[in-house]
Amino acid sequence: MMLPQLLPVQQAFLIAYLTGILWLRRNPVSLVFTAISPFSFLFVLFVVSNGQHVHFAVAGSLVMALVGYGLALGQDISFYKTEYKIQDVFVASPVSPLTYMMGLALSELMFGLPALTVLAVLVVYFGASIVAVPLLVATILLLWGSMSAMGFFLSSHMLHMRNATQVISFVNVILAVLPPVFYSVATLPDTLRYLSYAVPTTHASILLQYVMGLPTPADWSLALGLGVQAAYLVGFVALAKTKAIWRET
Amino acid sequence: MLAIEAERVTKVYKSAGRAALEAVSLQVEAGKVFTLLGRNGAGKTTFVRMCATQLMPTSGSIRVLGHDVVRQAKDIRDVISVVPQEGRPLRALTPWDHVYNWLRIRGEGKQAAKEKTEDFLRRLELWDARDRPAMNLSGGMKQKILVAMAMAVDAKLLFLDEPTIGLDPVSRRQVWSAIKDWKARGGSILLTTHYMDEAEVLSDYIVIIEKGAVIAQGTIQDLRRVIPQNTRIDISKDGLDREALEPYGSVVDTGAGMLRVFTFESAVRDLSELALKRNLPFTVSPVTLDDVFVHLVGSISEERK
Repeated sequence: MMLPQLLPVQQAFLIAYLTGILWLRRNPVSLVFTAISPFSFLFVLFVVSNGQHVHFAVAGSLVMALVGYGLALGQDISFYKTEYKIQDVFVASPVSPLTYMMGLALSELMFGLPALTVLAVLVVYFGASIVAVPLLVATILLLWGSMSAMGFFLSSHMLHMRNATQVISFVNVILAVLPPVFYSVATLPDTLRYLSYAVPTTHASILLQYVMGLPTPADWSLALGLGVQAAYLVGFVALAKTKAIWRET
Repeated sequence: MLAIEAERVTKVYKSAGRAALEAVSLQVEAGKVFTLLGRNGAGKTTFVRMCATQLMPTSGSIRVLGHDVVRQAKDIRDVISVVPQEGRPLRALTPWDHVYNWLRIRGEGKQAAKEKTEDFLRRLELWDARDRPAMNLSGGMKQKILVAMAMAVDAKLLFLDEPTIGLDPVSRRQVWSAIKDWKARGGSILLTTHYMDEAEVLSDYIVIIEKGAVIAQGTIQDLRRVIPQNTRIDISKDGLDREALEPYGSVVDTGAGMLRVFTFESAVRDLSELALKRNLPFTVSPVTLDDVFVHLVGSISEERK
């Protein structure tokens, strides 16, 4: 009676297909809603600075979009857990928590694809060289992965949908608005600059600025930027694997 | 072979500060429909969720199909399927989307998944609505999507937590029929329900839980013996004194303008004549599980008051 086990990656793609592609196919208007919001800061900064800060605005908007789509996974999970109770069906099945997380993270990516594509194309457009494209892709994947794992971890500890929304909005501000994501890290005093280096979104933004040919701080390097982001990814995936609540206690 | 073996299982929710289940021991035979009955908050769902590896027990041990729920959850998850209480399908997705893709996630090949999806959607009368988004379906149809998802899976043990809630009588019977077929194929089922007729039709064994403890268990025949009489007569209490009925058996007020007498077949003629003489409507029927449940749970509640 027992069926052959699918590989986790196959299960994740099927979950993404079910909750992302099929949902969008049945309800395409939701694509429009999710695509617009990442451009709000870009629009304001562009207008206010008369186009001068467009590089920062593009880098910041892409970082903010990745943080938003990554953390939105937490809201989805919270919804599936507390409102639909469909997560109970997944828990009592061969689907592991990390597979479930990966599937829903891919699904979120589907919703964000139009905005992310436009923003990534803008980075390449303003970019110094096509050679830097792998760096752009690496930055997108590292930030999206770590934010998804963080969203999963946070939402697993939330008992109510409303708590999840509030906490995720708060984290969004902490990661995508306050640090030097939309502005140059060089404007910060030394203490705050070092503090901001502890935040992964700072490095993501500097990396994107680097891809677009902007100067980077003297005390920053590519290795540092990628290393900090990789460390966050590994750390949050480990946290999601070991400390997220899958089976309730 | 036991499908579930629970020994002195206790569950204390941190937020509640009291035991939702206390030292519950149960044995569920494989290949049977095992039903948990109880009032709201009695602890049925807590027990189901612990067995289905969705919730950790506080103490005691549970083995599901020979595997320990704490240490061997993965082995259990490969061979079970669940309908959660108060679950809902995803709004924008259709019945076909849910069942077919869930089967694929559970490891079915494309062709087998298609055949099973069609089979279960037809069986539960969801076939004509297979391409309609769940948000446009009735509450009963939404519930049937979850039932189809769970039952289409090739599992050995099925957990059905109030699977027919909100279904019309015809739909309930479709689900009953699917459950019987499932059992006929050798599967085991742990069912919870508030519908006593459902429990009577489906169950091989019943456990009644009240306030986290088992208060009765057995086959339907065993439980019926809790009430010594085998017949009940409901007579309109319009102008009828309760005392006039007490010589025939135990009398309870149904709360719906009727007095219910639990008695023996030998008293039916006398009670019928009494009612006919006074021109009072009456009905005669065997004692039901509903009577047993009210008798048991009612007396426990009274004792605790």
